[in-house]
Formats: sequence, structure tokens, C-alpha cells
Amino acid sequence: MLVPKRILSIFNFSGRQLRFLKYCLWFFVPVVIAYIILEIVVVNTPINFKIIGQYYREHSDEIELIGLGSSQMQSAFNPAYAEVKAINFASKSQHHNEDFHILKQTRKNFPKLKYVLLEVSYSHLELPHHRDDYWKNSIYLNYYGVNGFGRLTTYKDKLLYLSNPRFFSNQLTDYYIFQIDKSKFNQYGFDTNNYDGPFNEMGFDEAKIAQHNFQKLNNEDLSIFNRNTAYLYRILDYTKAENLQVIICTTPFYKTYLKARNPNILRRRDSILQVIEKKYGNITLLFQENDTLHFTVRDFINENHLNPDGAKKFTGFVNQKLDSLN
Amino acid sequence: MLFNSFSFGLFLPITLLIYWAVGFKKIKTQNAVLLVASYLFYGLWDWRFLFLIVASSLVDYFAGLAVANSENRNNQKIYLYSSLLWNLGVLFIFKYYNFFIEEFALLFNQNQGEYMFSSLNLILPIGLSFYTFQTMSYTIDVYKKRIEPTTNLLNFLCFVSFFPQLVAGPIEKAGDLLPQFNKPRKFIAEDTKDGLRQILWGLFKKMVIADNAAIIVNMVYYNPENYGSYSLVYASVLFFFQIYGDFSGYSDIAIGTAKLFGFKLSRNFNVPYLAKGVTDFWQRWHITLTRWFSDYVYFPIIQKNLRSTTRRIIAILITMSLIGLWHGANWTFILFGLLQAVLMIMERLPMGRNRKTSFYYRKPRIPSFLMPVFTFPFIVASCILFRSQSMDQVAVIFERIFSFISSENIKELLNRKFLFFLFILVASEVYMRHKNFPLYQLDKHLNRPTRWVIYYIFIILIFRYAGPKEDFIYFQF
Repeated sequence: MLVPKRILSIFNFSGRQLRFLKYCLWFFVPVVIAYIILEIVVVNTPINFKIIGQYYREHSDEIELIGLGSSQMQSAFNPAYAEVKAINFASKSQHHNEDFHILKQTRKNFPKLKYVLLEVSYSHLELPHHRDDYWKNSIYLNYYGVNGFGRLTTYKDKLLYLSNPRFFSNQLTDYYIFQIDKSKFNQYGFDTNNYDGPFNEMGFDEAKIAQHNFQKLNNEDLSIFNRNTAYLYRILDYTKAENLQVIICTTPFYKTYLKARNPNILRRRDSILQVIEKKYGNITLLFQENDTLHFTVRDFINENHLNPDGAKKFTGFVNQKLDSLN
Repeated sequence: MLFNSFSFGLFLPITLLIYWAVGFKKIKTQNAVLLVASYLFYGLWDWRFLFLIVASSLVDYFAGLAVANSENRNNQKIYLYSSLLWNLGVLFIFKYYNFFIEEFALLFNQNQGEYMFSSLNLILPIGLSFYTFQTMSYTIDVYKKRIEPTTNLLNFLCFVSFFPQLVAGPIEKAGDLLPQFNKPRKFIAEDTKDGLRQILWGLFKKMVIADNAAIIVNMVYYNPENYGSYSLVYASVLFFFQIYGDFSGYSDIAIGTAKLFGFKLSRNFNVPYLAKGVTDFWQRWHITLTRWFSDYVYFPIIQKNLRSTTRRIIAILITMSLIGLWHGANWTFILFGLLQAVLMIMERLPMGRNRKTSFYYRKPRIPSFLMPVFTFPFIVASCILFRSQSMDQVAVIFERIFSFISSENIKELLNRKFLFFLFILVASEVYMRHKNFPLYQLDKHLNRPTRWVIYYIFIILIFRYAGPKEDFIYFQF
């Protein structure tokens, strides 16, 4: 028996129930073992968060700039080209609430931190924030030690595979089974081989790209805008109290996306940026969204994400901004 | 605590072990375990709303007793109306107050805030509509003398808050569920295995079908202006399967979980996409809700005038509008209900004097097995109303569908793996349509190794292909 008799004696199980219990244990033990193996494999798989976390732990006392934002920022800023020691915490679908958790909770480990590169993209203020049970919170907790759950964490919050089985299953099958993961991360966790995307598939043919259908945000939501703007002010108040220089940036868009933007969303975002610039002394803007002069079709993966070549140029603009601040 | 969460994966076996460990002869202790577990289950969402459940339970418990103890019919009515006032009042304040105030203000061109009533900033307690309807049915049934009132408060509290069906049904009638708390529960291994199989099937429907369908549906409905006719129709069909997988999956898990504790809950879905008409659809979809509204709204309106066409039309219109409104405080839901009513009236009522000439009673010229094919488009059209955020969005979607705009991006929406899983769902449910669920009593037909292989395949599918975790849609109702 798997259950000692002495323990069972305090319960009132019948023989039939005990047989059933044994049946269940036999059935579920392989499931639990398989899960533990998966969790171990996931922890040991090289994903960008792991590399960024490692870099964060090893270089936190030297870092002067941290990048925060969504996938657009993740693909646009390569700390390898930054003229100050930098780390890029931006990741896909990361909103300002996650940015703020990361900033607040990692701040104490960055004694030399001077600059925050914060993305306020076209869609940032009109997309709802994730809830506290957002799956990436497990990643932030595991790799950055950041608690985004808004409560005390439990052992369950550290289980990576369980946080998003689909995402990690895809990662594992791509990496170990099909071996099609082409990612090539530098020591900063930036993927230097991130060229695959619709633009590459279309051979950077501008005529084809002009016909390409793509996802864009056009839905307006004033209540979300009000909430997100208030949240942005909270972040900026915090940076002011911490004497941090904030570079609010927008990353370049390809011209088809520029044309497709909703003018109301754009107007609201731009007016907020203007107000912020006037209100806060520690804010400066790096507005590259409309820059079609320096960024050509070959700098993009898709309509609103830069490839590593575009990232090199964008990081150059960040450097120029840093120079202007000094 | 969600059924598809890790917390529930721990909560259920622990509760189950304690429940059976106390022994089936100690009914009171078992019920006390269930009550504590149910309050814990609910309180982990928001402990403040526990007070509301307890208050509702106490109001109906004492109302039931008062109705039974009073010999004067007028006094009985007062007790009944007090209970209804409480239940409907709570429901109105939490669920409908803002909607009516806003619509009222809009009607009289009043800006919110300047009007004497301003909207309330309240969170809708999870499962409010479900347990309120369950408690109301108890008091009404006691008043109508269909059941005897219970004098056991513990059992009544368990009946209202029984955690498997507390937040999203099935909505049980007191006459069906309450007596089960009075009787000793027997541990039957075959039923327990069936319970586990039903939970597994429910998790598959929720996590693999509904949550994957949600990716496409959310994408399309977030910005319908970006999609052509076929894409919108495809997304709307997928929404039907999303909501079906989501809600029937929840019901399967609830029924399966109840079985583990020795309880029997009512079937809530019966392969609704095989419905041969809209009336038939509502006898297959959310069966317990339809039954509730039939018993407490439709039949009381008709009373004895079953042959009166006008009364039946009015009864159908009122019942289906209320069913629509039950789903949420939005014009889209009201219109959804009205559309169902109109379709039902067209199906059921005599076209001429002869009742048998109606579509519903006339022998259809279309072969019976093809009837679902003709019904399904109407169901999908209703789904558009159900899913849309506003009437404006409904208009945009219908306009785009009937403008036959080309759908160049439909390929991006087609996911072969998901469509294969959908095929598994539909094929197995259609093939096993006479059983409660496709894995029902599997041990009668297959040996243990084969069964275990099937279970493991489902577990792997759930882990490997589960979509992003979405809340159960019906929680919001």
C-alpha cells in the first residue's frame, strides 16, 4: 500500500474506497512525474527572459539605463549598441502596469540607474492592462524576482510550465523536437537573428506589402484611456521621486501602419505626451514613430516591429538623446 | 477559484478525501464539510460577497418556513413577495441598476451625474443570477406547495452554496437537489469514475475548444471592420463553439464534481447543434435555465389558456426577453432574446386556424437529419448579438457579412489543429448523442489499458493544446 495503515486508521474509508484511491494514485503518479520533468526542462531551456535575468543578476550594479515596453520596444532597442550600460526588460504584450512592477522592484538593485527608456506607443493608452493573474507574472517572478501578482506569492506562482502550457509546449517542441528555433540571443537577451516575418517573406517588395492585411488597433475606449493615462502619471511621479531621467519613446512604424492609425487615438496620445513633457522636468521625448526617412522597409519585420538592423539605428537615436541630456 | 486552475486541482481532492473520510453515515458532518468547502471556494473570489449568499439563504430559508407555517393565504403571499423582493432587488441593484439608469438618462437626454440617480460603481458578484434563481425557486415551490420546506438550516445553506454548481449552474430546483442533502450518500466507484471522466471531458471542451476558439473570436470581434464576410461568419460560428465549449464544459465539470460527492445534478446541454429548430435548441441548450423560465414565467402566464394564441405569443415574448435580459444588462441581450422569441413564434404557432399547419407541427418536407443544417444559421446569427459589445457593432457585423466583402485574411484565422479538435468534439458527441457525454460508462466497453490510454491522450491534449486561460463566459451572468 502506498498509504501507511496508521494514517488510514484515523479515517473512515471503506475497502472499496481504498481500492479506488489506489487506482487513482496509480493513474496520476505518471502524470505528476511527467509534469515535474516538463517543469525542469522548461527551466533549463534558453529563452530570452532567462538570459535577461542572468544579465540583470550579474551586472545590476553597473546598469545606468533600463528599457521598458512591449514587443515593439523589445525589437527596437539592442543594449549591445547603447553607449551606457543598459538592460532591456521590454517584452511582447507588456503593459505599463508590468513595466511599473519591474521598475519599482528592480530599482533597489540598480545603484547607478539614471535613465528609464519607457515606450508609450500608439496603442499603449487604449489597450486594457493585463489582470494580476497574467501568466507572464510567473516569468517575472522566476527570472527577475519581480512580483506582479499584487499579493503574496505561493509555490504555484513559480511553476513556469503551468503558467502557460501552450507557450512553453511550443517553445519546447520548437527547440528540442523540431529544432527550428532560430533565435540567437546576445548576452543582453536581444535576438540578433530576428529577421523572420511577413516583410522578409514578401521579399521586402513594397507593392506586396502595401496589399498586406495586418492587425491594427483602431478601437477607441475612453475609459481605458483615462485609466491608463492615470497609471502613466503614477509611473512618472515615481521616476521623479527617484530622480530618474525618463526618455519616453515611440518606435518607428512602416508607412502602411502610419496611414492606418485612428486619428482620435493618435491625437489623444500625442496631446498627453505634450502635457507630460511640459509638466515633468525629468521627461524627454524620443518620437520616432513617423520617422520614414531613416527607417526603410528593410529595417522592419512587419508593419510595427523593427528587425535587428532597424534596432541598431533606433539604439543610435537613443544614444543621441542620451548625449543631448548630458 | 476556477475549475481549470491549479488551486482547484488541489482543493478538490483534499475536500473529497475529508468528505469521504468522515464516513457516509455522518451526514451532518459531510454537509458541514461541503458548506465550509463551498464558502471557501466562493470566498476566494471575493469574501465580501459571502455575506450576500448567507443573507439570501437566510431570507429564503425563513421565508419558506413562514409560508409553510402560515395558514392565511394573504400572509403567505406577503412572505413570498418579501423573498422575491429581496432576491430580485439584489439582482437589480448589482446587475441591472446601472443599465436602466443610463438608458433612462439617455431617453430623457440627461447627463449622468446631473440626474437625481447616478450610476453605481459595483462589482457583479460571481454566480449571482444562478444562486438567486435557485433560492427563488425554493420559496415559490413552497408557496405553490410543490415541496415541503426544510427545517434543516445546514442543508439549506448547502443547497444554495453547493460549490460545483454555485457560480454557473446547472440551476437546480429545490425539489431535485435539496432532498439529496438529507439522504446518506453512497460511494459508488463506477459513478466516481464517471464523474472523473466527465470532468476530463469538460476540461477538454473548455481548455482546448473554447479557449482556442476565443483567440480567433476575440481577434475578429475586437476589430470587425478589418474582416470580410467569410471571416466574420467563421468567427461567429467559432463563437458558438466557444460558448458551447465554455459553458457545457463548465456544466460537465460541475456535474462530474458533484458525482464525486455522491450527488446528481441535472443535465444542462444535449448536443445543441443537432437542434431541429429554435424551440428544440432551447430544450438542448442551458436546459436548466429554460426549465426555470418555463416553470416560473411561461406557464404561469399561459395558465389554463393553452389554446389562446395571443397568450402564447405574449408568454413566449416575455419569457425569451427575460432569458435574454438574464444574460446581461445590454440591448444586445434583449434583442437576442427577442430574436429567439420571434423564431419560436414562427415555428410553433399555427399559421392558419389549423394548429397542425405550423412549421413546428407540420411534417417537414426537409428530411429530419437535415433540419439542424437549417437551424444552425439562425443560432449563429443569434450568437452575433450575444457576442457583440453594442448594437453599433451588431450593425457593423451584419452589414459587412451581407455586403459580401472579400476575406483575404481568412487564412490567418484557420488553424488546422484547432479544427481537428473541433471535429473530434462534434464527431464524438454526435456519435454518442444518446449518452450523457462521450466518455460515459467507458469501462463497460473498453478494457483498462485502452481506457487509460484514452485518458492520457486527453490529458496530453489539454496540456499541450490548451488555449490562453480565459474566464468562464457565464461567470459574468
